[in-house]
Amino acid sequence: MNSQPGRAGTLPRRIAQSLLSLVLAVLAGGFIAAALVRYSPGFDIDENSWNPQISAATQAAIHARREYENRLPLFYVRYVGKALQGDFGESDSLHAPVTDLLQQRAWVTVRLIVWGVAGGMLLGGWLAWLAVWPRRPLLEVTAVSVSGLLLAVPPAVLALAFFMSDAPLGLAVALAILPRVFGTMRALWSDLYRSGSLLAARARGMAPWVLGWRYVLRPAAAQLIALAGVALVLAFGVLIPIEALCDVPGIGQLTWHAAVARDLPLLCGLALIITLVVATVATIGEMVEGGEFAGEEKSLEPV
Amino acid sequence: MKSVRAAAVVILIAICLGALAGPAVAPFAYDRQFRDSPAAPPGGRFLLGTDEIGRDRFSRLLYATRISIMLAPAAAAVSVALALLIAPLSACAGTGRNPLRPVVSVITTICLALPWIFLFIILRAELPLGTGPVVTVLSTFGLMGVAGWAWPARIFAASIGRMETSGWMLQARASGIPTRRIALVHAWPHLRAVAIAQFRVLVPAYILAEASLGLLGLGVPEPLPSWGNLLRDLQHPDLIRANPWILTPLALLMVVMICLEALGSGAGEAGGNPAGETD
Repeated sequence: MNSQPGRAGTLPRRIAQSLLSLVLAVLAGGFIAAALVRYSPGFDIDENSWNPQISAATQAAIHARREYENRLPLFYVRYVGKALQGDFGESDSLHAPVTDLLQQRAWVTVRLIVWGVAGGMLLGGWLAWLAVWPRRPLLEVTAVSVSGLLLAVPPAVLALAFFMSDAPLGLAVALAILPRVFGTMRALWSDLYRSGSLLAARARGMAPWVLGWRYVLRPAAAQLIALAGVALVLAFGVLIPIEALCDVPGIGQLTWHAAVARDLPLLCGLALIITLVVATVATIGEMVEGGEFAGEEKSLEPV
Repeated sequence: MKSVRAAAVVILIAICLGALAGPAVAPFAYDRQFRDSPAAPPGGRFLLGTDEIGRDRFSRLLYATRISIMLAPAAAAVSVALALLIAPLSACAGTGRNPLRPVVSVITTICLALPWIFLFIILRAELPLGTGPVVTVLSTFGLMGVAGWAWPARIFAASIGRMETSGWMLQARASGIPTRRIALVHAWPHLRAVAIAQFRVLVPAYILAEASLGLLGLGVPEPLPSWGNLLRDLQHPDLIRANPWILTPLALLMVVMICLEALGSGAGEAGGNPAGETD
């Protein structure tokens, strides 16, 4: 490991920059969502416009007031202010607070994501290990072919096949994630396989589990954590069609419902929450991979 | 490996030619209904049978292939072009002192943070309900192109960053070669290879994305066919058991994906994107 003098001094600054970037990303994501709501078709329409009992002057006054209230910056500040208090508005189509809807469905999605990411990483890692470690061309070709075949199938089709055969959907998510992490893990295992320290340890006849822990998992931990972050982001994308098509009452199905029903308050709430979660995971992944927490340069040599 | 790539190229060219010649080769128009033959099995008149409302599946597959094969690369080209325009803003003009750098970085982070399909679904929800099929198709793939710039931009920015500190770049600067000449003559050939790699990675990702959106009913709208909306039949297991030939679009999609993957296997190494991250 190459410790860099002076780098530790910049650690708080790097963390602060990452956090600032995260906050800006979430605020900007929210702004996009608010802008979508503000400029959505029909946002400005007031039912009072069709009320013949209200005079033209009163209607003009109401319109002027709404126009002032709905100026995007003001609208956004209010929206974020409410969101910070946990009020993401109310769903137009489901007639329920967005926060309640999210709470009801979060657990289903979290469970699928955890199974999917963990399964995808484990299966992907195992397949990548088969492609690299035993040094057998047949195994390598098989592993690459399996990954390629899984990559060629749309995740939604994969999930439908699992759904129709009553197989666990978590495995479908894992198989959808697998080919998307396989390439990176294969490259990682390949780098480790060629590292001098591992060769020396193998020559000394160390036990396989010691080799695996000390010379493979520990040196690769930062990259694996970062990759898990990437897999989580991918899982969110994969889950929307899977939950929608397989009738799983999770956040993905809620997103699909919001899109189909053009329920923009719900889409806004989802945009803020998902941006926050995913950006946080991505930032942590980047910081871990960049060695911010360790204060050291990324390396594949054992710790 | 070369023979595999050669076979992939041959298959892809054959499919592309078939798709481009689709309107001339297709026995019927994609939206022509034969009301006397709904859900007909494959036969002499209808090569792959007809769908539930009597449209020829083979003709629809040809048209769908044309739409998916032509528009996914176009969307990928838009993404790569946008990334090539945006990446230098965050990477050039010195490291750390470029005022645009944090702005571009935050925008890139937002685009990477929002799951691509989620962002796309939001944007699609904004389209007016009365939008015509052709406009919807163009906006579908256009939005894919616009929404997918972030990852290639990050790769390009990293490549430019590496170039800025490379020996040949320092030597070129020290020799007094103008920045424009360095960019066009020395840096562009390096970046071009990465751009081609990213393009190869994005095309299959967009094909898959369209298929997923089509399955959800948010892709190319009827009556225009695409691989995505042809796959919607897969939601009915009874239909698959009775008419297994409705799996043909899926088989074709998988063949194309595998061929693209065989071609892009070197691209991933050059470009860095872990296999269709925009998925």
